Amino acid sequence: MRIKSALAAAAIVALAAACGSGGGGGDSSSSSGNEPVKLDFLSLAWQKESVAANKQIVDEWNKANPNIQVTYVQGSWDNVNDQLVTQFAGGTAPDVIHNDSPALAGFASDGYLLDLKDKLPAELKSDIPQAAWDTVTFDDGKGAQGVYGVPFLQESQVIIANKKLLDASGVRVPTPDQPWTWDEFSAAAKKMTKGGTYGVAWAMKSPVNKTLNLALNFGGTFFQTSGGKTTVKVGPEEREVLQRIHDQLYKDKSADPGALGQGTADPLPAFYDGKFAMLPAGVYLRQQVAEQAPEGFEWVTLPGPTGTSAQQGAVSQTLSISQDSEHVDEAMKFIAFFLNGANQAKLAKGDWLLPTSQKAADDPAMTTKENGWDVATASAKNLVVAPFLKVKGFDEWKTKVATPVLQQYFGNKITIDDAAAKLVEDGNEVLERYQR
Amino acid sequence: MTATVTRPAPPRRSRGRRRRISRQTRELWLLMLPAMVPVLLFSVGPLLYGVGLAFTDARNTRNHETSFVGLENFAELLSAEDFWSSFKIGAIWAVSVTVLQFLAALGLALLLNERLWFRGLARVLAVVPWAMPPVVIGLMWKLVYHPDAGILNDLLGTDINWLADFSLALPAIIVVGVWTGMPQTTVVLLAGLQGIGKELYEAGEVDGAGRWRRFWNITLPQLRPVIVAITSLDFVWNINQFGLVYVLTQGGPGGQTRLPMLFAYEEAFRYRMAGYASMLGLTMAIVVLAVLGLYLWRQMRETK
Repeated sequence: MRIKSALAAAAIVALAAACGSGGGGGDSSSSSGNEPVKLDFLSLAWQKESVAANKQIVDEWNKANPNIQVTYVQGSWDNVNDQLVTQFAGGTAPDVIHNDSPALAGFASDGYLLDLKDKLPAELKSDIPQAAWDTVTFDDGKGAQGVYGVPFLQESQVIIANKKLLDASGVRVPTPDQPWTWDEFSAAAKKMTKGGTYGVAWAMKSPVNKTLNLALNFGGTFFQTSGGKTTVKVGPEEREVLQRIHDQLYKDKSADPGALGQGTADPLPAFYDGKFAMLPAGVYLRQQVAEQAPEGFEWVTLPGPTGTSAQQGAVSQTLSISQDSEHVDEAMKFIAFFLNGANQAKLAKGDWLLPTSQKAADDPAMTTKENGWDVATASAKNLVVAPFLKVKGFDEWKTKVATPVLQQYFGNKITIDDAAAKLVEDGNEVLERYQR
Repeated sequence: MTATVTRPAPPRRSRGRRRRISRQTRELWLLMLPAMVPVLLFSVGPLLYGVGLAFTDARNTRNHETSFVGLENFAELLSAEDFWSSFKIGAIWAVSVTVLQFLAALGLALLLNERLWFRGLARVLAVVPWAMPPVVIGLMWKLVYHPDAGILNDLLGTDINWLADFSLALPAIIVVGVWTGMPQTTVVLLAGLQGIGKELYEAGEVDGAGRWRRFWNITLPQLRPVIVAITSLDFVWNINQFGLVYVLTQGGPGGQTRLPMLFAYEEAFRYRMAGYASMLGLTMAIVVLAVLGLYLWRQMRETK
């Protein structure tokens, strides 16, 4: 009898305890005494060289700073935002978070990220140009602007070309000082199209960021803000690049239709086979070409085409600090070390992307002719903050509206007028939700 | 969490009424406690919490004051085109997978019920997909459907990007869904077949009934309770399918395979509309219950 009651009581106590600890979250880590401060660093590096560079820098830091120990946590670009939403809500987010600027806008206005404006060390702040800082400056959800990350790697669009086919066509080879115009680019693609070989291949499985970044060539911003309300806009400027890519596919027939449904790296085997001559892609794709191309395959990096300007929209990879982190100052110190000039050069080399640090950009490894680094680094000057970065609800617009619409448009299933109407009408409906 | 804190009530109440409750009832409660605690804590609690959320404008953000909005989420849901297209896709998926699964499994079960060579081995092989978690199945089929390196394109000599094609993606994942769910359906139907008395068939044969006649007039009616049970279970499983499709297409291309559960997941974890997503989950639960209720009620009535 008594035993049973005791058992029941114990069960209830256990139940209550389970509930209590579940709701409370971890509040046990106070930094008293000589215990070293522990920081979690969520890294999204995935290329082998890049993971190695990340881990090496963390090791260096841990050796030099016995009082601030950083744990490297591996994440993945595929699901980092889902993961962070869950972790933020549950209060278990890492202290230092690697992400990219499009994702920061949402987390910043939700109040999960720390405003770094007054915490940035002067040296770090002056080493990174203002254009890059613009990519991480966002509304805090209450009307004020804050800096929610340190931008460190940027991507620009270049054209990776098969040297043999390029030389054979006899077109003028563009240089960073004298890039192709879009007209020249389309003419060149047409010229290279013959006997089963296409001039160009557009991998448009995820068409949105690529198209929007290139649309800036003609001043296409896709969003406009007036009276505090952001709406979608698809005018003549926005249509330029859309129409030109569509023309290459269906009018000139100089673009490989097979590549259309593929992800950025998927057309590479066909590229090595000489099935098409040019692949417009982010600078990072050079890494795979350099490593996987068969023996004797010659390739060059060409600067992206220009419209009314050479401008391209830029987003950055970033390091941010969680609002709930208990060791904010230590985390900032770690970031400052992690992103100093020398380390950024290492990281940029590892990921084949462009460093934001001006010191890193002067590194000889960043300006060598080998593997097109000179062209890639030169393209950094054309990067301006992508207008869509500041748009609340951009992610939903992108997945729900823009991706299917652009896929259908480039698949020649709808006309440009239909596409424009859908982007605007359905798009404004989505944005509406975020502006209440 | 707040919803679960109130959970320990039932056992306590039973203690309070100690005198009037027989010893047997008390023991019953005590024995049930270990099983009930996890159910209450991890199922009923979150369920009630989710139902509660559905009537608020909760968002997964830090600086948002959650307030009660009544049926506003529901109204928004009904007027959202996204929801209806997702609902339609979910219905196509659940019905076609369940029906095809049933037909294929019935065929397989009948075959495995015959005296075949290596029958034991064949029965084991038929259950193999069951042993795989949905994520592994998804990854495996992703390789099968791979546009360049996939076996399917290799076999057919085609160059189709199955999972990225607007009209082929849904049929492609339905095939995977059928494949995945066949083992349990087959096993249950096979068990049902073995439960049918031999004498029924012998009697039928004596009366001159052919194979088809015997199947239609003996096997099917005898299997009926099993068929009703397994198809309704399959329907629930299928409409709630998530992992498989998440791995295969993530709802793409352009939302062509966005099942309701994927839709709810996106709303909650990508767009952070927790309240709206909860209402979506709740609505789907009610729809499933209604469909099942109707189906079971009709079946029961017909058997009577």
